[in-house]
Amino acid sequence: MADDIVVLDHITKRFPRIVANDDISLSIKKGEIYALLGENGAGKSTLMSVLFGLYEPDEGRIFIRGKEVKITSPREASALNIGMVHQHFKLVSDQSVTENIILGIEPTVKKLGLFSKIDIKGARERIKKLSADFGLDVDPDAKIEDLPVSARQRVEILKMLYRDAEILIFDEPTAVLTPQEIESLLSVIKSLRDGGKTIVLITHKLDEIKKVADRCAILCRGKLVGVYDVDSISTQEMASLMVGYEYSDEVNKEEYTGGESILEVNNITLYNQDKVKVVDNVSFSVHKGEIVSIAGVAGNGQVELADVIAGMLTPSSGTIIYKGNDITDKTIRERTEAKIAYIPEDRQDVGLLLDYDLSVNLALKSYYHEPYCSKGILNPSEFRKNGEMLIKQYDIRSSEGCSTIVRSMSGGNQQKAIIAREISLDADLYIFVQPTRGLDVGAIKNIQERIIALRESGKAVLLISLELEEIMNLSDTIIVMYNGRIQAVKKRSEVTANEIGYYMMGAKHEA
Amino acid sequence: MNSIIIDGLSFSLPLFIIAIGGIYSERSGITNLALEGLLGFGAFTGGLTAAIIYQFTAIGGTASMYIALFAALIGGMVYAMLHALLCIRFKANQVISGVVINILATALTAFLTNQINASLFGKASNRFVLEVSPRFSIPLLSEIPVLGAFFTSIYPFEIVILAVALIMWYILEKTPYGLRLRAAGDNPQAVDAAGVNVEMIRFSAVMVSGAMSGLGGMCFAYSISSNVSPSIFSGYGYLSIAAFIFGNWKIGPTFWACILFGFARSAGYSLVNVLALPSAYSDLVLTLPYIITVILLLFVSKANKAPKSLGEVYDKGKR
Repeated sequence: MADDIVVLDHITKRFPRIVANDDISLSIKKGEIYALLGENGAGKSTLMSVLFGLYEPDEGRIFIRGKEVKITSPREASALNIGMVHQHFKLVSDQSVTENIILGIEPTVKKLGLFSKIDIKGARERIKKLSADFGLDVDPDAKIEDLPVSARQRVEILKMLYRDAEILIFDEPTAVLTPQEIESLLSVIKSLRDGGKTIVLITHKLDEIKKVADRCAILCRGKLVGVYDVDSISTQEMASLMVGYEYSDEVNKEEYTGGESILEVNNITLYNQDKVKVVDNVSFSVHKGEIVSIAGVAGNGQVELADVIAGMLTPSSGTIIYKGNDITDKTIRERTEAKIAYIPEDRQDVGLLLDYDLSVNLALKSYYHEPYCSKGILNPSEFRKNGEMLIKQYDIRSSEGCSTIVRSMSGGNQQKAIIAREISLDADLYIFVQPTRGLDVGAIKNIQERIIALRESGKAVLLISLELEEIMNLSDTIIVMYNGRIQAVKKRSEVTANEIGYYMMGAKHEA
Repeated sequence: MNSIIIDGLSFSLPLFIIAIGGIYSERSGITNLALEGLLGFGAFTGGLTAAIIYQFTAIGGTASMYIALFAALIGGMVYAMLHALLCIRFKANQVISGVVINILATALTAFLTNQINASLFGKASNRFVLEVSPRFSIPLLSEIPVLGAFFTSIYPFEIVILAVALIMWYILEKTPYGLRLRAAGDNPQAVDAAGVNVEMIRFSAVMVSGAMSGLGGMCFAYSISSNVSPSIFSGYGYLSIAAFIFGNWKIGPTFWACILFGFARSAGYSLVNVLALPSAYSDLVLTLPYIITVILLLFVSKANKAPKSLGEVYDKGKR
């Protein structure tokens, strides 16, 4: 017990409709990387919010360095040398890195022995030293709004270090990063541990845990399943414990047999605002009962292409033929009416009305139809009926059912809501853009199975994903995009993941 | 030429100090359309104080002027607490609160001025008459050709304004309080997470805006008419809002915007005089700063960047 820096003793936290943490006891050793694993909504973030003083537990005790403490605010947590990097960064965008880091604990110097003034110079030096010590590459004078997401995250880490945090909590830190950035973050986390810090890593990505964590605690539906040495447990076992049933990442599906053409994309070219060609003369087709996926490294024009097909962007040239009709100039609603469903990449900005409740969001594409609207008057009870049905069918977890404000839901459940809404449209063409981004393995599998089910029922599916594994699992036809152009078109059965990987890098060109 | 500079400065500087108050409020995240009402109420307080001093004490002109300026500052600050309470404590819509405060100020000061004049000073009047502010010229400097006008016939309040403006700039840009204030207008969540009370910051910033408006309003009263009457509400508060928007919510550029407005106005008056136009044209000149505003809006709106959380009620739970 002596080297346990954090002990959580029978912590229980209830919310109006849900027990988020049910009698959880953990002890974390000084100087280890302790992973907290669980699905979206398993209670990981709540538990850490309790430790960070954002929530007060209903029952249970917290010990820090062997002493019982009551933590009622982040300020008190900070005084106990606990720091947290939130999923949503808390940074002031129009100020410099240094100003952000010192906010709230600004060092001052006396000018002329009279006026006190923020000691920006001294702070900058300290920040430089800290970032050198832990391999965090950050320019202290850069403005936050000019920095990429990964650098902003490093600023958040520096913020904790500047406050002498010993216990560092990372809330799903890799959700917003690219694979390369994830690698460098993980090595930063390791160097923090080697520097004597204690790390708590909230995540649902198993391979990251395997790479860096020493021990991991697995939570499932608010309960602690167990604490394991990472070396002595396989990712397969972790996944099963986390979702609460035997997990297998294989997806079963029938062989593709071919069907009539639903979507024909002909020579689509798109220039963006800066007059750069982002989609370059792209043509392909999608058939009934077929999953066509577009693979590619982020930013090679896939998302823009999907936006063009969905009607959010107008192509500079080229035509889109849907079920034999030219829809290039049709509005989004006309496309929806023609039964095209779209699951956009940005679920919060494009997919949902965050400040409206779940029942409204679930009817966003059909609210103007009977039975939701009759004679120009909305019918709330129909919204509820539809909402309750979809919530049940798609296992959307939320604190207050239909009347939950969507903003308060977890990312995974927001995504489930969008998918439920779109699938319930009974469309003929489904466009999925990164449908499983940021979700846990259970949710990913669920969504992938639904995509397969759409295909089995004869729908046409266009899937755009950055996850090669997902593409290999689901597709019948794989299109690889590189620099806005189609680099290769392959039948799934005739290609390996490695080959696709090469095409994605632009290595091999195939006309 | 001389009068363009002299009158231009004495109009620009009060405008500037009011705009600084607006910058404080808006950089902290609270929309402040109430500057018009704040400056009027501040001037009312100052005018009342000056009238009482004149009637009941032996304190002389210059000293009474400084006391009146200070009283106006306090009056504006206290009245601004109404805006702060509505917007911060009761989370009211900040635009509506600002407008209401302006309307209330017009009505309230007119009513109170009449009542107080009748009961305290025993005369029927809708204004407090002020003693004429002394003016001075700086020896030598004022004798430089053309530029010397900047040092000629200066109102004492112009020096006060410059000193206060410098202090206000220092606080906003160089002190911890200023850093927190600026952060509160961009991302209050970050300020809260840093353990700083966002509401306190914003409340105090609105009070500062009231104080600066009160001071500026009293300066207008001395320079334009030597009395405090309902004509104090002639849109200078709105003009200063335009000024700090052109100044991109930064004190330095805002100074130049104020100078532009002030000089446009005084140049217009000179033009009317030189061309010996009928007096109706001087009314036309009064519209000049506003016409410039409209024209400038066409050009600067695009590049302008308001504080990110301006006008948003801070709600801790929101992600």
